[in-house]
Amino acid sequence: MAASPSRSRLSPLALAGVLVGAAIMVAPLVWTLLLSLKANSELVGNSGAALSAPYTLENYQAIFGNYLTMRWLLNSLIVSLGTTAGVLILSSLAGYGFARLDFPFRRTLFVFVLLGLAIPQQAVILPQHRLFAELGLHNSYPGLILPGLVGSFGVFFMTQYFRAIPVELDEAAMLDGASRLTTFWKVLLPLTLPAQATLGVFTFLGSWNDYWWPLISATRSDMYTLTVGLASSQMNYAQTSGLGFLMAQAVFASIPIFIVYIVFQKQIVRAMAGTAVR
Amino acid sequence: MKRTIAALLAITLAGCGDSENGRSIYLQRFFGECTAEYGTATNLAKVEGECGIITTMINKFNAENHGTRVSQNVVAWPGYPQLTAQVAAKDPPDMVTMHTGVMSDYAAKGLIEPLEPYLREAGIDPASFTDASRRAVTLNGRVYGLPWDTHGGLFHINLALFKKAGLMRDGKPILPRSAEELLQHARQFKARTGKPYLIQSLVGDPAYQTRNMYTYLMAQDAVIFPDANHIRLRTPEARRVATFFRRINQERLGTLNQDTPAAIASFMNGEGGIYPTGTWMIGQFEQEANTPGRLLYKSYGVYPYPRLWGRHASFVSGHAWVVPTRERSPEQRAAMARFFRFLADHNFDWARTGHLPAFRSVVDSPQFKALPHRQDIAPLASIGQPLPGYVQRQSAIEGLVGEELAAAVNGQKPIERALADAERRVNNLLAQVD
Repeated sequence: MAASPSRSRLSPLALAGVLVGAAIMVAPLVWTLLLSLKANSELVGNSGAALSAPYTLENYQAIFGNYLTMRWLLNSLIVSLGTTAGVLILSSLAGYGFARLDFPFRRTLFVFVLLGLAIPQQAVILPQHRLFAELGLHNSYPGLILPGLVGSFGVFFMTQYFRAIPVELDEAAMLDGASRLTTFWKVLLPLTLPAQATLGVFTFLGSWNDYWWPLISATRSDMYTLTVGLASSQMNYAQTSGLGFLMAQAVFASIPIFIVYIVFQKQIVRAMAGTAVR
Repeated sequence: MKRTIAALLAITLAGCGDSENGRSIYLQRFFGECTAEYGTATNLAKVEGECGIITTMINKFNAENHGTRVSQNVVAWPGYPQLTAQVAAKDPPDMVTMHTGVMSDYAAKGLIEPLEPYLREAGIDPASFTDASRRAVTLNGRVYGLPWDTHGGLFHINLALFKKAGLMRDGKPILPRSAEELLQHARQFKARTGKPYLIQSLVGDPAYQTRNMYTYLMAQDAVIFPDANHIRLRTPEARRVATFFRRINQERLGTLNQDTPAAIASFMNGEGGIYPTGTWMIGQFEQEANTPGRLLYKSYGVYPYPRLWGRHASFVSGHAWVVPTRERSPEQRAAMARFFRFLADHNFDWARTGHLPAFRSVVDSPQFKALPHRQDIAPLASIGQPLPGYVQRQSAIEGLVGEELAAAVNGQKPIERALADAERRVNNLLAQVD
């Protein structure tokens, strides 16, 4: 099989450089994995012990031995998937509205959306916490999911994508008798799938890795997400006396993210390259 | 698909629900999660470590007290963001582990209850607390916590290196009796072993600097906080302490550029003579000292900070159990009092973690004295001194003071300026306190 043109252009020197770069990137991950496979007692005072056998799965057993770990995993999945689904639905609808519909104060409202991009989560955390307390939503899935749905980024992102789709497509569909909803659902929405995938992946990753809001909203251990649950499992000075366990937690928490990256790497690369929005 | 959605909905609704009965105690704590290992354990004699002991203790109470149930919620250390959020949401737990230095923040706003009624019902007399513990949980004349332990700085010593340095007498390390003598010992130690006398966690560990400063200011009877809104650091006493530690670094008598894990590893690997850190490391170092082949094997000793100026004193803090303010039934209060009694009765078991007991009777007991090193560190229970109860934001203050002191002793700032900056920053912080 012939090499692809792009590969054939890579000189040996460049290839060596890429390999060195890749090794540098992968080394901390391998190091983490090796540490997670060592007994804590062996690593105390000498983390270099990770480079030699014997290896053990006892740190992973300790993670799964905690009856709440699977619950935290499930919580994280529900919250991340719920947030992702909500963001995709709301952002698509709002994006379509801003891009295609003419309604009073459209520009003003869009400016508000853009302003939302400039307001950090920290600035609204106190009123947000108060609001959810008044609504009795702390320690609940709605309490964990709802704040993630109001991201300005998704609306802005989808608006830009819808704007890039030629209006002639809408007009052709309407000439064929399609309603606005049908045009949105059957003509435009399928065209936004690359953007949906990109937005979905980033929303999922952001929600999965979120720590602060779950920390103060889900204060009961059965409602912890994985990030908060694993942090609560750590003893003080875990980095010294429980290094193997700490690393096993890191590996365990990374596995779903790793799977998402593997499955959606095309979309992620495209988003990073800035080509998701045409 | 429908089944999946139904299952998810059921879980969602379950997550919204909450049920309690009159005799349940919702306890919140740090110290980690270890139900995998100790989820069903009830034999306290067979467990080790903070997490194992507290988990087993709660299991034991539940097993022995039918009709009363303590359910525990483990939070990420130190748990105050969660507690504050729970208080704001008007849903605080019934009992919480709290560092005594943090209690004033909550007590000043009425967020935790005075404990005298519980203690009376439990038959616990505050006079039975050690001096250090009683001082730590008493704020404005009221007892706000059941003290659980006292922890403070200690000199953890590598006896093998001390022997090599000629600093042992009758099997005990020779500790300095003045600042000048410490410098002499340090020079001798370095000359004979080629290693630094002190192992220091100078990076990212403001508590290390602050602990040293508070301890030696207290030893000189300096007034650190003249009132609730001011710290006093531009004093000859503070200059003396900062200059001393600066000199140690200038002469390379202590390690530099190490954070806490690096300093711990250094001590375990025999890379220095003394690691001044807290009571909480005793268990770990003792384990090393009992493991053949380790560099600390049969070479570990631990003592309170030596008296370098003035009198023998030591800045201490501690863990306590506090009760957040909320409505509770008489039955629940009675159940909590029973649990307090149980905790007090098992204070010795907790002392096996390395922390000093909170009760005099335990400190004086042969059982406690028989534990390794405990006789050597027992004076901490009487010389230990917390900050005055009226000082709020102690944790934040520790960060500010530690940061400025680190700059001073590392030579990044002139000592006078660092002390002035520390004083100004702390006073600015305290000016905002209600």
